[in-house]
Amino acid sequence: MSGLFPGFLILSAAMFAIGAAGVLVRRNPIVVFMCIELMLNSANLALVTYARYTHTMAGQVFALIVIAVAASEVVVGLALITGVYRSGRRLDLDELSEMSE
Amino acid sequence: MASTAPGYPLHFVPVGNLLGILPILIVGGGAVMVLLWDLVRPRGQEVWLAGLTGLFLLAALGTAIGQWIANSGPIVVFNGAYANDRFALFADFVVLITALAVVVLSPGYLRRRGLAEGEYYILLLASVAGMLVLDGALNLIVIFLGIELLSIPLYVLAGFARDDQHSQEGAMKYLLLGGFASGFLLYGMALLYGETGHTSLTAIHAFLLRDATAGHIDPMVLAAVGLLAVGLAFKVSAAPFHWWTPDVYQGSPAVVTTFMSVATKVAAFAVFLRLFSATLAPYRAEWTVPIAVVAIISMIYGNVVAVAQTSIKRLLAYSGIAQAGYIMIGVALGRPDGTQASLYYLAAYAFMNTGAFAVVTILSRRGEDCDRYSELAGLARREPVLAGLMSLFMLSLAGFPLTVGFFGKFFLFSAAIHDGQLALAIWGILTSAVSLFYYLRVILKMYAPAADVGAVEEFEVASVSPEGTAMAAPTAVGPAVLVVALAGAGTIVLGIFPAVIYTLLQGISVVHG
Repeated sequence: MSGLFPGFLILSAAMFAIGAAGVLVRRNPIVVFMCIELMLNSANLALVTYARYTHTMAGQVFALIVIAVAASEVVVGLALITGVYRSGRRLDLDELSEMSE
Repeated sequence: MASTAPGYPLHFVPVGNLLGILPILIVGGGAVMVLLWDLVRPRGQEVWLAGLTGLFLLAALGTAIGQWIANSGPIVVFNGAYANDRFALFADFVVLITALAVVVLSPGYLRRRGLAEGEYYILLLASVAGMLVLDGALNLIVIFLGIELLSIPLYVLAGFARDDQHSQEGAMKYLLLGGFASGFLLYGMALLYGETGHTSLTAIHAFLLRDATAGHIDPMVLAAVGLLAVGLAFKVSAAPFHWWTPDVYQGSPAVVTTFMSVATKVAAFAVFLRLFSATLAPYRAEWTVPIAVVAIISMIYGNVVAVAQTSIKRLLAYSGIAQAGYIMIGVALGRPDGTQASLYYLAAYAFMNTGAFAVVTILSRRGEDCDRYSELAGLARREPVLAGLMSLFMLSLAGFPLTVGFFGKFFLFSAAIHDGQLALAIWGILTSAVSLFYYLRVILKMYAPAADVGAVEEFEVASVSPEGTAMAAPTAVGPAVLVVALAGAGTIVLGIFPAVIYTLLQGISVVHG
């Protein structure tokens, strides 16, 4: 386990970076939302890895709670995105800027 | 009483613990009760839901006041996961009073805009519960839960006007950028947990203190501090992380903007202060300059961009970014006097900003919000009382003497000077001078003699709508005017007697024992 420890952390950091970059680069709100989930799950991976490494349970509990919270966030998020879509607009963050300076 | 002793079996929750979180239980239970009553109530009686919601908020406020009187020392419950100390209780007061004001404003406004649904009050109570959780959170897991419990109902509330494209668009932006911020915050928490092996803030503080006194600065902890700062700066809408604020404030229904601009800021700053001034205090030398820079950028950016706004809600959004910068001075100082000054400013901000948004709420007509500058033209002739109170709130936000905003700024700047952070105080004073320009412009617009006659006529035509429920009818907005009057009274009374709040704040600090 201890030999793999840095590997898991590097994977988690890479997932976080991919997620953050995706949020900044992609324009489709659903893809952006998926990137946010990727960021949350990268944190979950780090939490579980650290829990194993520090021999404490808190990280695993934290990860389970994050999963539950992320699920409720998805429910609200997809409903909101569907609402925008049903108002007959293209799902493109660049075009969703009716409000101006 | 305090039940800090570790080692309770998991299935045993002592009553003391439940008493310690009684305000949260009342508000959370209230959300469930309102949800159930919404199912069985007769149609078209939303105002009773507002009354029930207000009762639960009042009960929670009464409980919090009782706890304040009963306990002077910190009460730590649930094995050190939640502190019911005076810091938390003070933040609770501000959140609950703001929420009460919003509940009083809501029924008339929602009816005018055709949004009267029971879900509004359920979501509002759920969000308030999240804020109360945040105020006293002493554990990373509790902080994360509180932030999400606060945010998720607010995403829905921001998009509550389902046929309004601006509202939908604002809600989606809030969701995506709020989720983005949560990602940063969570990863920062994961790193902090990994390096220290604890999720309890008290234990993390002890670990970092040992580290720092040994002269060892852990780069992973620094990365965690950076991620936490970015995530929280998003939530308080401080400057380089503020993108969502103008669109969300403009798009959301005005009552939701009122709630979100004040209460969310209070709860997020409560965590910010507790996390940085207490838990991460051993690393203070590392974070104080970046936080101060964010504060200065917020003050400059918010105030300068606000000058160019033509929408009232956007103007108040940029003003809110600038105010976040001022409050952040107290975080950057990282000392008890800075914490107290920040809390004072948050309380002051609650009065003046709730008041300003309440006026916008009252002026909102059927179907849409009062948003354009031109709609304010000649307000002093049509609604002299409202115009006078709006002027008061604008002067207070600018920090004019004899208003509560003046003492808010005064305590912050004097704390900064006292701690030798002259740059913060100087930038604060300079940007306050800039802010005077756009706040005064709002007042001039309202008192302009018969300018924009066209706009006034258009407005008056719109206000005499078939059902006669528009702004001019005082019966429809009676309770809302009461809120504005109370906020105005608070702004003046606390501006003349600042000691009323300041004595409450004496001795409040967030330092871990």
